[in-house]
Amino acid sequence: MTTEVTVAQDVLHDNARDAAANRARFRAAGVYVLNLMSAPGAGKTTLLERTVEALKGKLRLAVITGDIATTRDADRLAAHGARVVQLNTGGACHIEAHQIASAAQTFALDALELLLIENIGNLVCPAEFDLGEHDKVMIYSCTEGHDKPAKYPLMFKESRALLLNKIDLLPYTNFDVDAALADARALNPQVEVFQLSATQGTGFDAWLGWLENRVAAARA
Amino acid sequence: MHEIGVAQRMVEIAVAAGSANGGGKIIALRLLLGTLTCVDPATLSFAFTVAARGTPAEGARLDVERVAAVLRCAACGRDEARELLTACSCGAHGGDVVRGRELRLDAVDLDEPFSTTGSTP
Repeated sequence: MTTEVTVAQDVLHDNARDAAANRARFRAAGVYVLNLMSAPGAGKTTLLERTVEALKGKLRLAVITGDIATTRDADRLAAHGARVVQLNTGGACHIEAHQIASAAQTFALDALELLLIENIGNLVCPAEFDLGEHDKVMIYSCTEGHDKPAKYPLMFKESRALLLNKIDLLPYTNFDVDAALADARALNPQVEVFQLSATQGTGFDAWLGWLENRVAAARA
Repeated sequence: MHEIGVAQRMVEIAVAAGSANGGGKIIALRLLLGTLTCVDPATLSFAFTVAARGTPAEGARLDVERVAAVLRCAACGRDEARELLTACSCGAHGGDVVRGRELRLDAVDLDEPFSTTGSTP
Protein backbone atom coordinates (compact mmCIF):
# COMPACT_ATOMS: atom_id res chain seq x y z
CA MET A 1 0.00 0.00 0.00
CA THR A 2 1.29 3.40 -0.82
CA THR A 3 0.22 6.84 0.27
CA GLU A 4 0.39 9.75 -2.08
CA VAL A 5 1.61 12.93 -0.41
CA THR A 6 1.09 16.24 -2.16
CA VAL A 7 4.28 18.31 -2.21
CA ALA A 8 3.69 20.99 -4.87
CA GLN A 9 7.06 22.63 -4.37
CA ASP A 10 9.13 24.52 -6.89
CA VAL A 11 12.50 22.74 -6.96
CA LEU A 12 14.24 26.05 -7.69
CA HIS A 13 12.25 27.79 -4.97
CA ASP A 14 15.41 28.75 -3.10
CA ASN A 15 16.71 30.74 -6.05
CA ALA A 16 13.37 32.47 -6.51
CA ARG A 17 13.30 33.36 -2.82
CA ASP A 18 16.90 34.64 -2.87
CA ALA A 19 16.27 36.64 -6.04
CA ALA A 20 13.21 38.29 -4.49
CA ALA A 21 15.30 39.25 -1.45
CA ASN A 22 18.01 40.67 -3.71
CA ARG A 23 15.43 42.63 -5.69
CA ALA A 24 14.03 44.19 -2.52
CA ARG A 25 17.51 45.13 -1.27
CA PHE A 26 18.50 46.67 -4.58
CA ARG A 27 15.28 48.69 -4.76
CA ALA A 28 15.66 49.90 -1.19
CA ALA A 29 19.26 50.94 -1.87
CA GLY A 30 18.32 52.72 -5.11
CA VAL A 31 20.85 50.79 -7.23
CA TYR A 32 19.96 49.73 -10.78
CA VAL A 33 21.11 46.17 -11.47
CA LEU A 34 21.72 44.71 -14.88
CA ASN A 35 22.33 41.00 -15.67
CA LEU A 36 24.51 40.74 -18.79
CA MET A 37 24.34 37.42 -20.62
CA SER A 38 25.72 35.99 -23.83
CA ALA A 39 27.49 33.05 -25.41
CA PRO A 40 31.17 32.67 -24.46
CA GLY A 41 33.31 35.14 -26.40
CA ALA A 42 30.49 37.41 -27.58
CA GLY A 43 32.10 40.44 -25.94
CA LYS A 44 30.67 40.87 -22.43
CA THR A 45 33.94 41.89 -20.78
CA THR A 46 35.04 44.17 -23.61
CA LEU A 47 31.63 45.84 -23.59
CA LEU A 48 31.83 46.29 -19.82
CA GLU A 49 35.37 47.71 -20.06
CA ARG A 50 34.20 50.38 -22.48
CA THR A 51 31.00 50.99 -20.50
CA VAL A 52 32.88 51.38 -17.21
CA GLU A 53 35.40 53.71 -18.84
CA ALA A 54 32.61 55.90 -20.21
CA LEU A 55 30.42 56.00 -17.10
CA LYS A 56 32.78 55.86 -14.14
CA GLY A 57 33.00 59.63 -13.98
CA LYS A 58 29.22 60.00 -14.09
CA LEU A 59 27.82 57.14 -12.02
CA ARG A 60 28.91 55.31 -8.89
CA LEU A 61 29.19 51.79 -10.27
CA ALA A 62 30.48 48.31 -9.48
CA VAL A 63 30.72 44.98 -11.27
CA ILE A 64 30.20 41.39 -10.22
CA THR A 65 31.73 39.09 -12.80
CA GLY A 66 31.21 35.32 -12.95
CA ASP A 67 33.38 32.69 -14.57
CA ILE A 68 33.97 29.00 -14.14
CA ALA A 69 37.65 29.75 -13.61
CA THR A 70 40.28 32.54 -13.50
CA THR A 71 40.11 36.14 -12.36
CA ARG A 72 41.02 37.47 -15.80
CA ASP A 73 37.77 39.37 -16.33
CA ALA A 74 37.90 40.97 -12.89
CA ASP A 75 41.52 42.01 -13.52
CA ARG A 76 40.60 43.61 -16.84
CA LEU A 77 37.72 45.54 -15.31
CA ALA A 78 39.68 46.60 -12.24
CA ALA A 79 42.32 48.09 -14.57
CA HIS A 80 39.64 50.59 -15.65
CA GLY A 81 39.10 51.61 -12.06
CA ALA A 82 35.91 49.67 -11.43
CA ARG A 83 35.09 48.12 -8.08
CA VAL A 84 34.85 44.42 -9.05
CA VAL A 85 34.04 41.16 -7.37
CA GLN A 86 34.91 37.92 -9.20
CA LEU A 87 32.75 34.86 -8.66
CA ASN A 88 34.34 31.54 -9.61
CA THR A 89 31.68 28.89 -9.88
CA GLY A 90 34.10 25.97 -10.31
CA GLY A 91 31.90 24.29 -12.90
CA ALA A 92 28.41 25.72 -12.49
CA CYS A 93 27.14 27.05 -15.79
CA HIS A 94 25.18 30.01 -14.46
CA ILE A 95 25.19 32.41 -11.52
CA GLU A 96 22.56 31.94 -8.81
CA ALA A 97 20.88 34.56 -6.67
CA HIS A 98 22.57 33.53 -3.41
CA GLN A 99 25.97 34.16 -5.00
CA ILE A 100 24.93 37.67 -5.91
CA ALA A 101 23.62 38.22 -2.38
CA SER A 102 27.04 37.26 -0.97
CA ALA A 103 29.03 39.24 -3.50
CA ALA A 104 26.87 42.33 -3.06
CA GLN A 105 27.80 42.43 0.61
CA THR A 106 31.23 43.63 -0.52
CA PHE A 107 29.69 46.90 -1.62
CA ALA A 108 27.90 49.61 0.30
CA LEU A 109 24.81 49.28 -1.91
CA ASP A 110 23.33 52.60 -0.77
CA ALA A 111 26.38 54.30 -2.24
CA LEU A 112 25.98 52.68 -5.65
CA GLU A 113 23.85 53.78 -8.58
CA LEU A 114 24.71 50.99 -11.05
CA LEU A 115 25.61 47.35 -10.46
CA LEU A 116 26.61 45.37 -13.53
CA ILE A 117 26.54 41.57 -13.33
CA GLU A 118 28.53 39.71 -15.96
CA ASN A 119 27.02 36.23 -16.15
CA ILE A 120 28.72 33.02 -17.25
CA GLY A 121 29.04 32.71 -21.02
CA ASN A 122 26.14 30.39 -21.81
CA LEU A 123 23.05 30.81 -24.00
CA VAL A 124 20.94 28.33 -22.05
CA CYS A 125 20.92 28.33 -18.26
CA PRO A 126 21.35 31.96 -17.18
CA ALA A 127 17.92 32.80 -18.61
CA GLU A 128 16.37 30.52 -16.02
CA PHE A 129 17.97 31.97 -12.92
CA ASP A 130 16.61 35.25 -11.67
CA LEU A 131 19.29 37.14 -9.77
CA GLY A 132 17.04 39.97 -8.58
CA GLU A 133 18.14 42.27 -11.39
CA HIS A 134 16.09 45.09 -12.92
CA ASP A 135 16.89 44.06 -16.48
CA LYS A 136 18.47 41.20 -18.38
CA VAL A 137 20.59 42.40 -21.30
CA MET A 138 21.95 40.07 -23.90
CA ILE A 139 24.98 40.43 -26.17
CA TYR A 140 24.72 38.56 -29.44
CA SER A 141 27.67 38.83 -31.79
CA CYS A 142 27.73 38.78 -35.57
CA THR A 143 30.15 35.88 -35.57
CA GLU A 144 27.63 33.49 -33.99
CA GLY A 145 25.34 32.94 -36.93
CA HIS A 146 21.89 34.43 -37.45
CA ASP A 147 19.97 31.36 -36.27
CA LYS A 148 20.66 31.83 -32.57
CA PRO A 149 17.30 33.43 -31.66
CA ALA A 150 15.50 30.39 -33.06
CA LYS A 151 17.84 27.97 -31.31
CA TYR A 152 17.97 29.71 -27.91
CA PRO A 153 14.62 31.45 -27.71
CA LEU A 154 14.27 31.87 -23.95
CA MET A 155 17.30 34.12 -23.45
CA PHE A 156 16.29 36.34 -26.36
CA LYS A 157 12.74 36.52 -25.01
CA GLU A 158 13.82 37.43 -21.47
CA SER A 159 16.18 40.26 -22.42
CA ARG A 160 15.03 43.84 -22.25
CA ALA A 161 17.85 44.94 -24.54
CA LEU A 162 19.79 43.10 -27.23
CA LEU A 163 23.27 44.29 -28.11
CA LEU A 164 24.29 43.08 -31.56
CA ASN A 165 28.07 43.23 -31.17
CA LYS A 166 31.08 42.96 -33.50
CA ILE A 167 29.34 44.82 -36.32
CA ASP A 168 32.82 45.78 -37.52
CA LEU A 169 33.22 42.14 -38.54
CA LEU A 170 30.03 41.97 -40.63
CA PRO A 171 31.94 42.25 -43.94
CA TYR A 172 33.80 39.03 -43.05
CA THR A 173 30.76 36.93 -42.17
CA ASN A 174 27.54 35.86 -43.85
CA PHE A 175 25.51 37.00 -40.86
CA ASP A 176 22.07 38.16 -41.98
CA VAL A 177 21.23 41.03 -39.61
CA ASP A 178 17.64 41.40 -40.84
CA ALA A 179 16.88 37.70 -40.38
CA ALA A 180 18.44 37.60 -36.92
CA LEU A 181 16.58 40.70 -35.74
CA ALA A 182 13.30 39.56 -37.27
CA ASP A 183 13.48 36.40 -35.18
CA ALA A 184 14.62 38.31 -32.09
CA ARG A 185 11.64 40.67 -32.43
CA ALA A 186 9.24 37.79 -33.08
CA LEU A 187 10.32 36.33 -29.74
CA ASN A 188 10.31 39.67 -27.96
CA PRO A 189 8.41 42.47 -29.71
CA GLN A 190 9.45 45.07 -27.12
CA VAL A 191 13.18 44.37 -27.17
CA GLU A 192 15.51 47.39 -27.58
CA VAL A 193 18.19 46.60 -30.14
CA PHE A 194 21.60 48.30 -30.26
CA GLN A 195 24.06 47.51 -33.04
CA LEU A 196 27.57 48.20 -31.90
CA SER A 197 31.23 47.28 -31.76
CA ALA A 198 32.67 47.07 -28.27
CA THR A 199 36.23 47.05 -29.59
CA GLN A 200 35.74 50.03 -31.92
CA GLY A 201 33.17 52.00 -29.93
CA THR A 202 30.72 52.22 -32.84
CA GLY A 203 27.12 52.61 -31.72
CA PHE A 204 28.08 53.05 -28.08
CA ASP A 205 26.40 56.39 -27.46
CA ALA A 206 22.93 54.91 -27.94
CA TRP A 207 23.70 52.03 -25.59
CA LEU A 208 25.13 54.33 -22.91
CA GLY A 209 22.18 56.70 -23.22
CA TRP A 210 19.72 53.87 -22.76
CA LEU A 211 21.64 52.56 -19.75
CA GLU A 212 21.77 55.98 -18.09
CA ASN A 213 18.01 56.35 -18.60
CA ARG A 214 17.40 52.96 -17.00
CA VAL A 215 19.54 53.95 -14.00
CA ALA A 216 17.63 57.22 -13.63
CA ALA A 217 14.27 55.46 -13.92
CA ALA A 218 15.23 52.95 -11.22
CA ARG A 219 16.26 55.73 -8.86
CA ALA A 220 13.27 57.98 -9.51
CA MET B 1 24.99 20.87 -16.79
CA HIS B 2 23.25 21.28 -13.49
CA GLU B 3 20.90 18.30 -13.32
CA ILE B 4 22.89 16.97 -10.33
CA GLY B 5 22.08 20.08 -8.30
CA VAL B 6 18.42 19.91 -9.30
CA ALA B 7 18.30 16.19 -8.46
CA GLN B 8 19.87 16.77 -5.04
CA ARG B 9 17.31 19.44 -4.28
CA MET B 10 14.49 17.12 -5.42
CA VAL B 11 15.73 14.39 -3.09
CA GLU B 12 15.88 16.86 -0.18
CA ILE B 13 12.32 18.03 -0.78
CA ALA B 14 11.02 14.47 -1.22
CA VAL B 15 12.76 13.18 1.92
CA ALA B 16 11.42 16.12 3.95
CA ALA B 17 7.89 15.41 2.70
CA GLY B 18 8.34 11.74 3.55
CA SER B 19 9.58 12.54 7.06
CA ALA B 20 6.62 14.80 7.69
CA ASN B 21 4.27 11.97 6.70
CA GLY B 22 5.43 8.95 8.63
CA GLY B 23 8.92 8.49 7.26
CA GLY B 24 8.24 5.52 4.98
CA LYS B 25 10.33 4.53 2.00
CA ILE B 26 9.69 6.69 -1.05
CA ILE B 27 8.37 4.62 -3.92
CA ALA B 28 7.85 7.32 -6.55
CA LEU B 29 8.20 11.03 -7.20
CA ARG B 30 6.03 12.97 -9.60
CA LEU B 31 7.78 15.92 -11.22
CA LEU B 32 6.28 18.55 -13.50
CA LEU B 33 8.93 19.63 -16.01
CA GLY B 34 8.20 22.42 -18.44
CA THR B 35 9.61 22.09 -21.94
CA LEU B 36 11.21 25.54 -21.69
CA THR B 37 13.43 24.57 -18.77
CA CYS B 38 17.06 23.76 -19.50
CA VAL B 39 16.76 20.44 -17.69
CA ASP B 40 17.02 17.28 -19.75
CA PRO B 41 14.69 14.51 -18.47
CA ALA B 42 17.07 11.62 -19.20
CA THR B 43 20.02 13.36 -17.56
CA LEU B 44 17.82 14.29 -14.62
CA SER B 45 16.69 10.67 -14.19
CA PHE B 46 20.27 9.50 -14.08
CA ALA B 47 21.27 12.30 -11.70
CA PHE B 48 18.33 11.41 -9.49
CA THR B 49 19.39 7.77 -9.11
CA VAL B 50 22.80 9.02 -8.00
CA ALA B 51 21.49 11.70 -5.65
CA ALA B 52 18.97 9.35 -4.02
CA ARG B 53 21.52 6.74 -2.91
CA GLY B 54 21.59 6.28 0.84
CA THR B 55 18.35 8.20 1.32
CA PRO B 56 14.74 7.03 1.74
CA ALA B 57 14.33 7.96 -1.95
CA GLU B 58 16.85 5.35 -3.10
CA GLY B 59 15.37 3.20 -5.84
CA ALA B 60 12.29 5.41 -6.19
CA ARG B 61 10.66 5.79 -9.57
CA LEU B 62 10.82 9.29 -11.06
CA ASP B 63 7.70 10.08 -13.07
CA VAL B 64 8.26 13.17 -15.19
CA GLU B 65 5.20 14.92 -16.60
CA ARG B 66 6.19 17.31 -19.38
CA VAL B 67 4.38 20.62 -19.58
CA ALA B 68 4.23 22.23 -22.99
CA ALA B 69 4.73 25.96 -23.40
CA VAL B 70 1.59 28.11 -23.34
CA LEU B 71 1.84 31.80 -24.14
CA ARG B 72 -0.72 34.53 -23.33
CA CYS B 73 -1.03 36.88 -26.29
CA ALA B 74 -0.51 40.54 -25.39
CA ALA B 75 -2.72 41.61 -28.29
CA CYS B 76 -5.81 39.37 -28.03
CA GLY B 77 -5.37 37.88 -24.55
CA ARG B 78 -5.71 34.28 -25.73
CA ASP B 79 -3.65 31.48 -24.13
CA GLU B 80 -2.25 29.16 -26.77
CA ALA B 81 0.18 26.26 -26.77
CA ARG B 82 2.88 27.40 -29.16
CA GLU B 83 6.62 27.75 -29.62
CA LEU B 84 8.17 31.01 -28.40
CA LEU B 85 8.94 32.01 -31.98
CA THR B 86 5.46 31.19 -33.29
CA ALA B 87 2.80 33.88 -33.56
CA CYS B 88 -0.58 33.71 -31.89
CA SER B 89 -3.45 32.67 -34.16
CA CYS B 90 -4.39 36.39 -34.20
CA GLY B 91 -1.02 37.11 -35.82
CA ALA B 92 0.74 38.87 -32.94
CA HIS B 93 4.13 37.65 -31.76
CA GLY B 94 5.42 37.34 -28.23
CA GLY B 95 3.34 37.19 -25.07
CA ASP B 96 3.91 36.05 -21.51
CA VAL B 97 4.81 32.46 -20.76
CA VAL B 98 2.02 31.04 -18.59
CA ARG B 99 3.04 27.38 -18.75
CA GLY B 100 6.25 25.60 -19.67
CA ARG B 101 8.76 26.84 -17.11
CA GLU B 102 7.73 24.49 -14.33
CA LEU B 103 10.25 22.50 -12.33
CA ARG B 104 7.93 21.38 -9.58
CA LEU B 105 7.87 18.31 -7.36
CA ASP B 106 4.14 17.67 -7.25
CA ALA B 107 3.83 14.55 -5.11
CA VAL B 108 5.65 11.60 -3.59
CA ASP B 109 4.30 8.09 -3.11
CA LEU B 110 5.29 6.63 0.25
CA ASP B 111 5.35 2.99 1.22
CA GLU B 112 3.29 2.68 4.38
CA PRO B 113 5.70 2.34 7.33
CA PHE B 114 5.96 -1.13 8.87
CA SER B 115 4.16 -2.64 5.86
CA THR B 116 4.59 -6.42 6.00
CA THR B 117 3.07 -7.19 2.60
CA GLY B 118 5.67 -4.91 1.01
CA SER B 119 5.32 -3.46 -2.45
CA THR B 120 7.93 -4.91 -4.72
CA PRO B 121 9.73 -2.12 -6.57
